[in-house]
Amino acid sequence: MDRVWEGVVVDAIDARGVKGSDSQESSAVNPLGLALIKAALGLPLALPMALPLSLGVSLPACADSAPDKGLVSFKYLDYLDSQPGLDRIRVRAPSVLVMKPLSSEWSVSSTYTTDAISGASPAFHTQALKNMHDERHALDLSATRYLSSGARTFGGSYSKEVDYLSRGLFYSMTESDESKNSTWNAGVSVSSDQINPTNRVVMNETKQSYDLIAGLTQVFNMDNIAQVQVAHYSGKGDYSDPYKVFDNRPRERINNTFTVRWNHYLPGNESTVKMGYRYYEDDWGIRAHTWDAEWVKPVGNGWTLAPSMRLYSQTAANFFINADTSGSPFPPFPTPGSTYYSEDQRMSAYGAHTYGFKVSKSLGPDTFVDLKIEEYQQRGSWKLLGSGSTGMDPFLARSIQAGFSHYF
Amino acid sequence: MNVPLKPVPMIASALLTLLLCSCAITPVEPWQKGNLAKPEMTFEGDVLDKQFTEHTYFSKEGAFGGSGVGGGGCGCN
Repeated sequence: MDRVWEGVVVDAIDARGVKGSDSQESSAVNPLGLALIKAALGLPLALPMALPLSLGVSLPACADSAPDKGLVSFKYLDYLDSQPGLDRIRVRAPSVLVMKPLSSEWSVSSTYTTDAISGASPAFHTQALKNMHDERHALDLSATRYLSSGARTFGGSYSKEVDYLSRGLFYSMTESDESKNSTWNAGVSVSSDQINPTNRVVMNETKQSYDLIAGLTQVFNMDNIAQVQVAHYSGKGDYSDPYKVFDNRPRERINNTFTVRWNHYLPGNESTVKMGYRYYEDDWGIRAHTWDAEWVKPVGNGWTLAPSMRLYSQTAANFFINADTSGSPFPPFPTPGSTYYSEDQRMSAYGAHTYGFKVSKSLGPDTFVDLKIEEYQQRGSWKLLGSGSTGMDPFLARSIQAGFSHYF
Repeated sequence: MNVPLKPVPMIASALLTLLLCSCAITPVEPWQKGNLAKPEMTFEGDVLDKQFTEHTYFSKEGAFGGSGVGGGGCGCN
């Protein structure tokens, strides 16, 4: 489920404030240095110079007016996951983003992605890998209107696989106070999915869901900005995995998340530390903690380096059946009389680590390339606070992204 | 089998975080936002990178959501 957050941006310049500055205010600014004001005044134009790490649909600098330039961006993903001795799923996914301002008030944007998926997936736990292949086409379209105090975005999404069709609508808004130091955001989306697995375990199944989100982005001082968001998801329909044995999940799922993000600029070495934490809970009994951190360091000549890491831990769904290899090669049977059960590794208790490294390079004032490599690993023994699920192989994944962006 | 969720603690956590953080706010004027305006200081990030990453975690982990609304579902989870 791809999420595009039309988001909250920091105003580099409050145009009204700058225009409204009288000589007294200007003199009050002097201690900060005229050069800084000039830099601030030049920011909207200068932003594309440093945008490869922030190719936002709602581009930064001016929440109250559309971006000056359009953007076309390509990305190619090569993803491979595995367990010891066995490759599992490979995904090759080219994607494109186009954003174009229509006026000072409106912009439109679209992303299109094709996933070519092939390989093998376990029928239960990490056992009995079965070959599979699929192709996914996903299209998002949105329009944003920029107002003096915020932005409104609405759009739709469409995702089609051989066995799965998803259609959705979303709306989001931001509203800032006069100082632009506090920005509230809210959003809603609805999705309607149709499921027709190729093995015909079920036919014409459906799933309907909605998301709600609300948050606040707050400037703390010249070098610190933080964001708090709460979100709620509710869905009804078929959540079972038709390609796994002994998988019958509740037909309802509700989750809540609480997310905090904090960006801290280090003036000493002109770099940025970005940190985040998410708490997740759902009515299947899964509780999850996610921490992530990234350090973004421009190193000169248009190069930017960004190492990152992410730590994740979840409890098992309350209908997860633990692995038991005593009956191998057969899967363990669900407890007699149980209504819901799953032997999906993703429903187990485990921890996961991700280590990433991204390199960006500007090829000119409007053209950028980037490359990102990530290594990911899940292990039952890495679960925090208590023991994780046992009897399964570690899950590993590595991904490589190569991107190209051009402003026009 | 569904476990009832109580959203009150989560909303209370968010409000408590806001309350605690509000003590540390120093008003920033528009001309003082040079560092805040740097693209890496925004929360949006690289849209396509974020789509790939979130799609991958959605496909491979039990938890999902919390970063925004929009985008299409898929049969990968």
